[in-house]
Amino acid sequence: MSPAPARRPRYVVAGIVVLMTAAIAIVLVFVLSENIVFFRTVSEAVHDRDQQGRTPFKLAGAVVPGSIHRTDNTLNFEVTDGKRTVKVVHSGDRPDLFKAKVPVLCEGRWGRGLVFDSDRILIRHGAKYSPPKVDTKRAPKATSA
Amino acid sequence: MTTTTPTPSGRGVTAAMAPDRDQLLAPVVRRVIGWLTLVSLVALALFGLWGAPTDAVQGDAQRVMYLHVPAAWLAYLAFFVTAAASALFLIPRTRAQVWDRLAGASAELGVMFTGLALALGSIWGRPVWGVWWAWDARLVSTALLFFLFLGYCALRRVPAADPVGAAKRNAIAALFAFADVPIVHFSVEWWRTLHQKATVFNPELNPQIHGVMGLTLWLGTLAFTLMYVYLLDRRYRLAVLEADQADVELEQAILDRTRARSAHV
Repeated sequence: MSPAPARRPRYVVAGIVVLMTAAIAIVLVFVLSENIVFFRTVSEAVHDRDQQGRTPFKLAGAVVPGSIHRTDNTLNFEVTDGKRTVKVVHSGDRPDLFKAKVPVLCEGRWGRGLVFDSDRILIRHGAKYSPPKVDTKRAPKATSA
Repeated sequence: MTTTTPTPSGRGVTAAMAPDRDQLLAPVVRRVIGWLTLVSLVALALFGLWGAPTDAVQGDAQRVMYLHVPAAWLAYLAFFVTAAASALFLIPRTRAQVWDRLAGASAELGVMFTGLALALGSIWGRPVWGVWWAWDARLVSTALLFFLFLGYCALRRVPAADPVGAAKRNAIAALFAFADVPIVHFSVEWWRTLHQKATVFNPELNPQIHGVMGLTLWLGTLAFTLMYVYLLDRRYRLAVLEADQADVELEQAILDRTRARSAHV
């Protein structure tokens, strides 16, 4: 067998290995790039309010209890990270799990002042799993305690 | 490679190295594992759908977890086996064809489990997060893992005149691809993601899951592990049979040509 035809698959193989290495490199670039900041907390977003302008980003916070109001075509509520709180005007679907205290990601951009115009809500659920707790305060008392 | 001499084509690695095991498991062991896989999958279905309580926050959608999480863990395990077998193949003292075949068989199953984890995660994400997909670090690194090992499986099928050299390169590629596994696992700790953090293998190693739910998750992991071992044995056997068939076909072709020539004389 002549060496010439034997060589060609080696280059193919080497090429694929290089491609794989490149894919790993892309991950590292992804790591270092701004894209890796998947969301900003309310405090961070408020801090960067002026530089951000109308550029879209994802705002992370928990829904403030009692702040949820529905208008004709928007859902208005407030999100907080414990330090800062901002108003959100959301036009779009209301996810099933959306309710007070739930951590959410709002996709959108700053509107007027510290009002966030959201067009999509993502629910960030936790990593704890349990059946519903029995409310011992409200449950009728059994016999004498 | 200068260290290896090209072997006659068609003979594969067999001619270059001593032939070794033609199956991974004894037939009895294989059959027992096959039946245990079926039984544990039925038990998983019963526990996953009825035995485990409904989650307080997510409702019934959380039940996808009992398939999604074992699929992801088994993908890690399968790729670990591929990487370990590849390393054993690269070390001259332990080099044997069994490691190359094991690496290939395990990688195909790893791709299957990664695909399952991605698809089931998407099905879980839609009702709970509100989206099928998000460009967060966990999801992107997992999709990358899928394509890396899909590429590795394709690489294994590139024909080569030097089978030992090709197997070595495949092994190196597998080790590169495996580097993504820790990135996938720690992505939820290193970066901000939509995906929640680890429930079981968290940094505190303190599982955040209710008793029966945790039990169901372990049952799923057991069922998937048994399934993995069974399928690994079957895929390995298939690789052995394919190589044998190639040898038989080559012998036949040589025989046919010799006969044709002698008929002319």
